[in-house]
Amino acid sequence: MKITDLFQLALSRLGTGKMRTALTMLGVIIGVASVVALVSVAQGATAGISNRLQSLGTNLLTVSPGFTRTGATRGAAGSATTLTIADANAVGSLSGVQAIAPELTTNKLVLYGSQNETTRLIGTTPGYTTVFAYDMWAGTFLNQASIDNNLRVAVIGATTADNLGLTETSIGQTIYIAGLPFDLIGITQPKGGSTSADDQVMIPLSTAHELFVGSNNVSAIGISAASADQIDTVSAEVTSTLEQRHGITNGTDDFTIANQAQLLGTVSSVSDVLTLLLAGIASISLLVGGIGIMNIMLVSVRERTREIGIRKAIGARGRDILSQFLVEALALSLAGGLIGIAVGVAASFVIGIYGGWGFIFNPFTVVVAVGFSLIVGVIFGVWPASQAARLDPVVALRYE
Amino acid sequence: MTVAAGEPIIKLEEVSRIYDTGKFQVPALVDANLDVAQGEFLAIVGPSGSGKSTMMNILGCLDRPTSGLYTLDGQPVDELDNDGLALVRSRSIGFVFQSYNLLPRTSALDNVATPLMYQGVPRKERLRRAQAALERLGLGDRMTHEPSELSGGQQQRVGIARALVTEPALILADEPTGNLDSHSGAEVLDLFRDLHALGRTIVLITHDVDVAAAADRAVHIRDGRLGEALIG
Repeated sequence: MKITDLFQLALSRLGTGKMRTALTMLGVIIGVASVVALVSVAQGATAGISNRLQSLGTNLLTVSPGFTRTGATRGAAGSATTLTIADANAVGSLSGVQAIAPELTTNKLVLYGSQNETTRLIGTTPGYTTVFAYDMWAGTFLNQASIDNNLRVAVIGATTADNLGLTETSIGQTIYIAGLPFDLIGITQPKGGSTSADDQVMIPLSTAHELFVGSNNVSAIGISAASADQIDTVSAEVTSTLEQRHGITNGTDDFTIANQAQLLGTVSSVSDVLTLLLAGIASISLLVGGIGIMNIMLVSVRERTREIGIRKAIGARGRDILSQFLVEALALSLAGGLIGIAVGVAASFVIGIYGGWGFIFNPFTVVVAVGFSLIVGVIFGVWPASQAARLDPVVALRYE
Repeated sequence: MTVAAGEPIIKLEEVSRIYDTGKFQVPALVDANLDVAQGEFLAIVGPSGSGKSTMMNILGCLDRPTSGLYTLDGQPVDELDNDGLALVRSRSIGFVFQSYNLLPRTSALDNVATPLMYQGVPRKERLRRAQAALERLGLGDRMTHEPSELSGGQQQRVGIARALVTEPALILADEPTGNLDSHSGAEVLDLFRDLHALGRTIVLITHDVDVAAAADRAVHIRDGRLGEALIG
């Protein structure tokens, strides 16, 4: 028999019992659709998280002060005031450090015209845009001269600009921070993701120190390593430099270093496990779908015993009957698989839109899903088909 | 394979078929000897339980003899495996059944074309040959009908077309008129006469002596033993 004959037989057979065919395929449809959709959702969610982490800065290390201890109570990380502007400068001169951005942070009332809001005020250096991956939307960022001369200039985030009614034409206008006039020199591009990254005002470190914060203590130092594979080296260098400067020998550091690469690694390993778990759960429904096919095929072999006898009498060999039933099972599972992919892709599209990471289409998942449904067809089709092929034509012809 | 001139199409030598039920050995066919010549129209007549069906299964290569030699169309078939038997059925035998045994929900044309599919004949060619066979039997206007849309006589003629389409060495008919009214039955027997006149070899198995009268020669079967010739 030719393969085209087999497919023609299978299709005409599946066409004669449309309801049964549809219900049998439903199991595979649900299985494949959930594999495709769940894997896509897991990958979409991971991509979304990774994008947000990436937008925090490139090759970023963040050094925060340690914690205070009041009696037996351990304060939050960052509650101590152990990092200074001098520490930041020392760290900035290490090899492998591309840029640093010390942060003096406080909250102040910002006013422009009749609009005002209380927002985060950050005193920092020109390295800030590099370290935290900001682009300028309008104007320029703080330059070294503004630091050196304690200039009263400010760069604001996109959300802050919106809140105050400032646009790209407002560069050069005067805004008031805690009542003091500042020249607006730039507005940063919105980063999306967490909006708080866009709701802040940045002024020169020296100016913030002089006017608003007073002490030499910084709330954090952002460090950008020159490349991703230098992150660990830089982290070690920073640790030893700060330990030396703070006179720490017993290893109980009064600062912590957060490593973005580690965070990314953790997220991606968690999401790998999650993807595997979801795919595993979805595979179970595919398995159940396969058993449904086997069940129907067994019933069908029983019902069509006489037909099998007739076919054998007029010249069909065992393998002709085997391939006929196998191709029927394959056609069921393959058709179910293709519909399942369409449903799964549609579902992941909708979920992706609602989830906010857009539509992620992974051709690999589709290939795997089709392959899997074919395997299901073969595995669960072989047994009923071989039952059919082994029927004794004499017995089968007499079967009522 | 074709036989040399004068050689019989069917040659049974001491053929027995004994069913082993585990406790008992039931002999359904005992030491049968039979020659059927090319172009002969033979009837095998016997009451139910006489071993007719066993005879039909053996002759039709649906079953193997327990002992003895069976040569069909020059080929010894008693030692063939299942695929070998299927091949012999496909090439050398055309079955006509009492209950027609057409494939359900399948058009007359596809029913007749199916034996050719198992011979590997391309679809176009087999539809052409099936159409020719149906037209020869006066069913040219029923080709797209499914068995359930045809009368008994029409269904049996489709069955005969199916048996003829492969040009087999032997047509084996098992009570072909058993389910038909007398008029349709007579038509079917006339058809066999016509085929016989065209040189076909036909073996007709029946319990009905009147039906057997259509054949040139008839042998009797009772209790698994072939008896003397009734006719011819």
